[in-house]
Amino acid sequence: MANKEKELTFEENLEKLEMIVKNLESGNIPLDDAIKNFNEATLLAKKCDEKLKNAEEQVNKIVNKDGTLEEFNVED
Amino acid sequence: MEDKYITVSQLSRYLKFKFDQDVNLNHVFLKGEIFNFKAHTRGHYYFTIKDESSRINAVMFYSQASKLSFLPEDGMKIMVAGRISIYEATGGYQIYVEEMVQDGVGNLYLEYEKLKKKLASEGLFDPSKKKKIPKFPETIGIITAPTGAAIKDILSTIKRRWPITKTILFPSLVQGASAAPEIVKQIQNAQKYPLDLLIVGRGGGSIEDLWCFNDEQVARAIYECDIPIISAVGHEIDYTIADFVADLRAPTPTGAAEMAVPNQKDFYTYIHQVNLRLEKAMMHYIQNNRERLETLKNSYILKNPLSIYQIKEQKFDTLYEKLYLVMNSILINERNKLEEKIDKSKNWMERYLEKSKNQYLYILNKLEVLNPILTLKRGYSITKKQDDIITSIQKIKKEDLVTIDLVDGSFTANVEEIIKK
Repeated sequence: MANKEKELTFEENLEKLEMIVKNLESGNIPLDDAIKNFNEATLLAKKCDEKLKNAEEQVNKIVNKDGTLEEFNVED
Repeated sequence: MEDKYITVSQLSRYLKFKFDQDVNLNHVFLKGEIFNFKAHTRGHYYFTIKDESSRINAVMFYSQASKLSFLPEDGMKIMVAGRISIYEATGGYQIYVEEMVQDGVGNLYLEYEKLKKKLASEGLFDPSKKKKIPKFPETIGIITAPTGAAIKDILSTIKRRWPITKTILFPSLVQGASAAPEIVKQIQNAQKYPLDLLIVGRGGGSIEDLWCFNDEQVARAIYECDIPIISAVGHEIDYTIADFVADLRAPTPTGAAEMAVPNQKDFYTYIHQVNLRLEKAMMHYIQNNRERLETLKNSYILKNPLSIYQIKEQKFDTLYEKLYLVMNSILINERNKLEEKIDKSKNWMERYLEKSKNQYLYILNKLEVLNPILTLKRGYSITKKQDDIITSIQKIKKEDLVTIDLVDGSFTANVEEIIKK
């Protein structure tokens, strides 16, 4: 995740998505923009979807007393 | 002899009277353990209070029992206040409990109430101070014990619901005397990390176990923390102070995790709906624009391009007609003016002619009077000498040949004699 700078957060992506969809639903934008928006929204939805589906193994860490972070797994 | 004997009832009544008289027995503070607890359907509690070697029956009527913030149970260590009296029906003495607190927490409870009031008055529980819990936290900090059910429940719930959330555990004691300062330290520590949300809590336990979450310093640390905090103290009935200060209170660690992250199932449903909405909106767009296009294509002008000229021509015609009308009216006007002038001049001419004619007649008349012919008709004659009209005898001499004109002819004559007058 760190290799991409200023990537929008999940929430920001979703907010953007919701905004575009609402905008499209209002029907107040020119056709060219509508097509552009539609493509963007479809991409955003896909991106959010993939981000969740392709989630790697959950990252859980623990802060040690010396302040270092370490992988943390709960023993069953 | 028989007078010596009294009835059981009399004895009971006497004893009850004695008990009720006794000031000490009217205000008894008693501690022990609950045994044989029975909550009557009508709300009264019947139980036994015992210690290692003794027991006493106890009754707590609904009016008092209903004020308790906990449900008494067998084995619970309690402290009660009440009065001792005789229950005449059995002859047994018992304590009529008016107040009950759990032993060991009795003082704590007072402390709790005091602290709650104080912090409330300082505004620490103010709803307006609550921070918003993010909908999609990327990283969640957890302050709890690294072992035990709480952390396990939190992590497994997050994993099940929203696996892309990362967690950082800030291990802390959550019970015992050092728990509170450790929790405070970790709350402060956690703020050095890029966290969207903090869960602070522990699993269920006795009131004493949970007591660190009623600590003033913990409360203040939660209040001052700039990360939103969900409190998760596994104790469903009572609120801890931490619950009041936290931005959101969960009844259990699992509950906290559920409040912390969205459910991916809901999310997939949402994404699905968004896609449907998008398609619908787009279809609508296409449909709308197609209709607009059709309307334009079918418009009269596009279908009858010549009509543009026709329209222009018609316009031209109208203008031409207008121009014609205007010109015409100008011409008519001018003609009228001209005619008027002609009329005027004609009149004038006529009058002039008339006048001229009269004058002419007059002159003619005059001329007629002067006409020599007419004079000749009356018998006069004109005498000429070589075409000169002789008007005096001076102009002739004797023997001159003269011509004499009469009205119907002339004759010549010789002058014989000149007679002077």
